Amino acid sequence: MENPAAPLLTTEGIAKSYGPVVALRSVDLTVEAGQVHALLGANGAGKSTLVKILSAVIGSDAGTVRISGEEVSFKGPSDATRQGISTVFQDPALIPDLSLEQNLTISGLERKDIDPWLERMKLSDLDFGLLVRDVPLATLRLVDLARALAHDPQLLMLDEITAALTPEQADLVFDVVREWKRMNRSVLFISHRLGEVLGICDVATILRNGAHVAHLDLDGVDETELVTAMLGEELASATPPSEESAANAERADTTDNDIVLEAVDLQFRGRVNGVSFELQRGEILGITALEGQGQDELFALLSGDHKPTSGDIVVDGEKMLAKSPYNAIRKGLVLVPGDRHDALLPQRSIRENLATPLYNRIGRWFTIRRDETKLVKNAIDRLDIDTRAASEVRRLSGGNQQKVTIGRWLVSDFEVLLCFDPTRGIDIQTKAQIYDLLRELAAEGAAVLLYSSELREIPLVCDRVLVMYDGRVVHEQEAATATEEVLLKAAHNLADTIT
Amino acid sequence: MTSADTTTEPTGRSFATLKRWGQRHGWTLGVWILLVVLVVWYSTLIPKFGGFQVTNIINGGTSWIFLAAAQAVVVIAGGIDLGVGGLLVLTSVTGARLMDGQPFGVILIIAIGIVLAAALINGIVGWVITASKVPDIVITLGSLYIYQGLALMILPKVGGGSSDTFRWLFTGSATGIGTNPWPAMVMIAIPMLIVSWWMGRTRSGLSLYALGSDSNAAFLSGVSAKRTKITAYAVGGALCAVAGFSSLAISGVGNATTEGGNLTLNSVAAIVLGGVALTGGIGSLVAVVPAALILFFFNPILSALGVNPNQAQVVQGVLIVIVMMVAGLIEWRRRRRS
Repeated sequence: MENPAAPLLTTEGIAKSYGPVVALRSVDLTVEAGQVHALLGANGAGKSTLVKILSAVIGSDAGTVRISGEEVSFKGPSDATRQGISTVFQDPALIPDLSLEQNLTISGLERKDIDPWLERMKLSDLDFGLLVRDVPLATLRLVDLARALAHDPQLLMLDEITAALTPEQADLVFDVVREWKRMNRSVLFISHRLGEVLGICDVATILRNGAHVAHLDLDGVDETELVTAMLGEELASATPPSEESAANAERADTTDNDIVLEAVDLQFRGRVNGVSFELQRGEILGITALEGQGQDELFALLSGDHKPTSGDIVVDGEKMLAKSPYNAIRKGLVLVPGDRHDALLPQRSIRENLATPLYNRIGRWFTIRRDETKLVKNAIDRLDIDTRAASEVRRLSGGNQQKVTIGRWLVSDFEVLLCFDPTRGIDIQTKAQIYDLLRELAAEGAAVLLYSSELREIPLVCDRVLVMYDGRVVHEQEAATATEEVLLKAAHNLADTIT
Repeated sequence: MTSADTTTEPTGRSFATLKRWGQRHGWTLGVWILLVVLVVWYSTLIPKFGGFQVTNIINGGTSWIFLAAAQAVVVIAGGIDLGVGGLLVLTSVTGARLMDGQPFGVILIIAIGIVLAAALINGIVGWVITASKVPDIVITLGSLYIYQGLALMILPKVGGGSSDTFRWLFTGSATGIGTNPWPAMVMIAIPMLIVSWWMGRTRSGLSLYALGSDSNAAFLSGVSAKRTKITAYAVGGALCAVAGFSSLAISGVGNATTEGGNLTLNSVAAIVLGGVALTGGIGSLVAVVPAALILFFFNPILSALGVNPNQAQVVQGVLIVIVMMVAGLIEWRRRRRS
């Protein structure tokens, strides 16, 4: 029955709607055997939905999926795996309360099945008795990948696998992908990092608004062309190069010495080892680092979630003694957390989510501020939030959820906006909107502390940048001149080699 | 230098393993130690402490242990079964009705039949939960009443019976009172070891933890939520039946007016003391067994102290809260340090 000439995977007219929100209109995709195939598109374009349908996490409303010419339907994720499609999802599919060993047992695998792959990823020494909740995310991603490979799939789907990995770990993953290709197997690769995509993928399918808009051979294509294809002609002019000049032009004059936030030799349990900096009104101070260099803890300290072991946080010349984020928020230090799910009330409306900070400021007669409606509407307009699924925030796309997370603080007042990787996993268009918003806020006199894992973002948005390594600030410079190369070297603590 | 390196490396590793074992099984160890401390203390409270007292405690604790284990299996899988007490009553009166006057061989077949029937009927409860998507606590509140009502229909008046051999199996004597704790201990140990092994080592058993810990990750790992939940309720039902047999063996007759709801609440208290997270995914029968025994043990200790039975209830409630608070405090301090 199998037709050897047929492509490994073909889909025709895949469609999926969530109530009134159309996630996929109609997607045709063809993946040949031995091909590394990129699936590209802005957030909300439908990549994640397509991956979920192909891995049988959700069902489709219409359309067919064929493997080697044969029409298939999957009963569930394990059925998809049995029929040759394994997926590494954005959130590792590992059970937090079980050990790694027990997780293997659950998927019907043994150590010997994944050992060869673990060795490739330099994880041979990993202790499989550890509970998953005690293992760092990057390691879990790699274990999840090894587990997917052990099922020996015809098609391996990687959804943003490099997001939490160090460059070294990412290289190991790319080696595995190339090896997989040599074995005449296929990979469907989803990533926001276009450099990676061009580095390892052969062809790309580009989705926009829930439909495929282009199939590209990636030979000789550069990032600008990809971005153009992803954004469509009308938006291509808003892509990074021109945006950079716009941001530069808007850069506020920060010569007046108006320090709003000062960190003095902050220490926290060996994770933050003496961080000091000053942040002025109207300034966007960037922070970047590799994973796990103390940036998470630094933001937890500044937002009042943790208490420093030693050192001071000075806000407006006054020492902050925060017992909880409540105190920090009262001082005007507000956080946009790295994981937006930490901040949102997923089952409540956009309006309620945006108005949450106001509930803290009960007015006369226990009423909340009467201008709530107006403030919420302003925030929605200013952030251009898609309100089609306004009744439940969890039904919004990731980009729109992120906008709501930031929008909450526009509704209330703040002194310093602490943004932890606000553009991670967000589409290019929303990214540009967030950059513009941060610049506008700074121009209005707000101070922004922005951690970003995407080095390219730094010169676009920030005035100054600090690079952290091992809980210390190892490098500081004007952001406008901070190239990716310089920042990457500094992030590896090779600042001395920067000339 | 090289030899020193090679020797310190494994020691460091085994120390880390030991420390991790301590962290992960600290609660289990703590509950066992608490049980031993209570036994030693109790032995100084009463004039004579010997085989009779030990046997009494173990025999009486058997049904508590099985009921707590039944609850633990369901709660670890992310559910909660309020019906366990009702099912204990139902299986025990069914046994009393059917086993009365039968030879041991027939009784054994009846017992196996009742265990399977209990697994089936509680499995159906699990199926209703997954199919209707109504919360566990609502459906099993219904099943509690249904079981209790069925028990009253089967045996409206206290009566029925079992056989001497059957009673010996669970109590070490034909009369239910004696000085031989070993049969009951074996009857506890064997099923508990089997179920523990199943839960910790096999794919279907680990699925219970997976479902209770993170249902989405479980789904993505290929765990069927429906099948797993039905399995949990079925295994729970089978354990309830054994609890019912133990209570029948001790009293010698079936009594359908026993309050199943109270027994259910005891089982919930026992698993919480045994370190099972009510949110699912965490816990082990190895800690639930001593926890259930401790709860049962409160009664003889309080009567040995001369506490009046009415006040004893208050004291018991306060003790449970205190133990949980102390345990919570230890856990909180440990988290803060790590």
